[in-house]
Amino acid sequence: MRIYWDVFMMALSALKANKLRSGLTLLGVIIGVTSVITIISALEGLSQSIEAEINKMGPTTFMVTRMGMIFSEEEFFEAIRRRPMKIEYMEAIEEGCEYCEKVAARTYTMVNVKYQNKKISRLFGIAATANFIDIVEYEVGQGRFFSQEEDHNRRRVAFIGTAIQDELFPNVDPIGKDIKINNIRYEVIGIAKKQGASFGHNQDLVVFIPLSTYAKDFGTSRRRLRNLAILVKAQSLELLDQAMDQTRVILRAYRHVPYDKDDDFSMLTADTIMDALNRVTKFLRLGLIGVTSISLIVGGIIIMNIMMVSVTERTREIGIRKSIGARRRDILLQFLYEALVLSLGGGLIGIAFGVFLGDVLIGLINMDMTPSLYAIAIGLGISTGVGLFFGIYPAMKASRMQPVKALSYE
Amino acid sequence: MMSLIETRNMWKTYDMGAVQVHALRGVSMSIEKGEYVAIMGPSGSGKSTLMNLIGCLDTPSEGEYYLNGKLVSSMLDDELAVIRNKEIGFVFQVFNLMPRASALHNVELPLIYNGTSKEDRLRQAMKALEVVGLLDRMKHRPSELSGGQRQRVAIARALVNEPSLLLADEPTGNLDTKTGKEIMDFLTELHRSGNTMIVVTHESDIAAFADRVIYLRDGMIEKDDVRKRAV
Repeated sequence: MRIYWDVFMMALSALKANKLRSGLTLLGVIIGVTSVITIISALEGLSQSIEAEINKMGPTTFMVTRMGMIFSEEEFFEAIRRRPMKIEYMEAIEEGCEYCEKVAARTYTMVNVKYQNKKISRLFGIAATANFIDIVEYEVGQGRFFSQEEDHNRRRVAFIGTAIQDELFPNVDPIGKDIKINNIRYEVIGIAKKQGASFGHNQDLVVFIPLSTYAKDFGTSRRRLRNLAILVKAQSLELLDQAMDQTRVILRAYRHVPYDKDDDFSMLTADTIMDALNRVTKFLRLGLIGVTSISLIVGGIIIMNIMMVSVTERTREIGIRKSIGARRRDILLQFLYEALVLSLGGGLIGIAFGVFLGDVLIGLINMDMTPSLYAIAIGLGISTGVGLFFGIYPAMKASRMQPVKALSYE
Repeated sequence: MMSLIETRNMWKTYDMGAVQVHALRGVSMSIEKGEYVAIMGPSGSGKSTLMNLIGCLDTPSEGEYYLNGKLVSSMLDDELAVIRNKEIGFVFQVFNLMPRASALHNVELPLIYNGTSKEDRLRQAMKALEVVGLLDRMKHRPSELSGGQRQRVAIARALVNEPSLLLADEPTGNLDTKTGKEIMDFLTELHRSGNTMIVVTHESDIAAFADRVIYLRDGMIEKDDVRKRAV
């Protein structure tokens, strides 16, 4: 065992003796690993944040919408001709689906919110039924969510995200205060727990109002709400498929879909959304990683080139070492260690840069991200692989030199 | 009981494309433990080739070579490396020291390759440097030493593993006459203290230090001259 350590120290001292050369080689690997890790950790962060967003739906919940997810032009032109969702479906599902536990409906629009002289423009206004809060991940931080009666009676009450509290009520308790949503007065009755930023928008910059109140105030009839989605929570994960089947039957009946035609609506679970997204982003990921990997290959080629030069330059040294008893393995390891120190050293620095840059990149589109262990593992793996792959040939060349020829090399 | 070195009809042939060059044409000889032998001959006589074979840096094309009773002529690369490490101490004309390493590290290098522990390595290397009288220079690099001192470091490196055989190839070739004489005196002294010594040279003054001179010409032993065989 001892000999491996001693040979490793020899490798280090050879690298130290050529500081500039080692540094430049290192730089090649650093650039390669940095670019790969940046892309991987940015993609990883993106997908974590999408996943977190989607998982807010919960595994037993599915969503019924008019359009669903669209992957092609044909799908789009088919979907755009579909009739809108109606609020009656919610009631029909509540009655007819025995495996469904809760059914809620929601729509959204962009709104402006004002309190006294402070104003926030263009934020998400979500209009929902009272049990919406039971199905999605939003939790009550202070006060309460609106009740079914308030929805039914079209009360002007609002449940706000923490970002609205921070901006409009810096020093005041917002509960009981009146805010203006698109110039209509609403009473704040509750505040959501902080959600954090995700995926380009601040999830706390949101205001909830009852669906019926929205229909009245925003001039649409309760029957014709744009962007309406119905959220259904199945009784359990095992009953999810049955609940979806029952819901499908009810909706097809209500929408008069002929038996030989496809559904004219979409049902999405957290899983199906995630799958579809992964399908779409898979090639994007592969492409990005592929392109950045080229720089890594360049880094590897630099290592190989430098090692070839180094082996040739040190032919005599190899001859001397062999003449006093170095075996092939000893020489092989010495040069392989040099290549590995360069690639792993560059890899470690590259990982640090890459994780940092990935963070910055993700920060630019306003998302939270944790440094990914996955990216670090990949970075270490890749740089070790590059060192071994590109270092083995020069090292073998060195180890196989004939001592007589090596000693007489000028 | 076999001699320390025994070669039987050793040939070395180099393939130079169209022609084959016979560097050695059937060399048979034996050298006993404790002998002091010079191998002499003009350039092209095959003495360097013979030295490479005796030193296990190369293997013969034909014939057998026994070192210490072991048939080394058919050994593989790594087996030869172990033999070189244990049995042979080389002293080269151009010293062949590691330029960036200190004298001490140069001397301890053979011990690294046979896995000696760090403490033992230092102790043995310092002892060898003491034998050549350079203990006070152990931290110096070869470039900070004179030619004679460099050759002494090389001798210390050759001695450090207590080999069966010291093999010196033109050890004075890069030294001035006075320093060369000092080095030869020192090698002679090492022989007196029990080391088997083979010196390859083309100078008869140098060969004169030895007890036995083997003359090579055209790859064959021309004359094997025992002047004062040591007992």
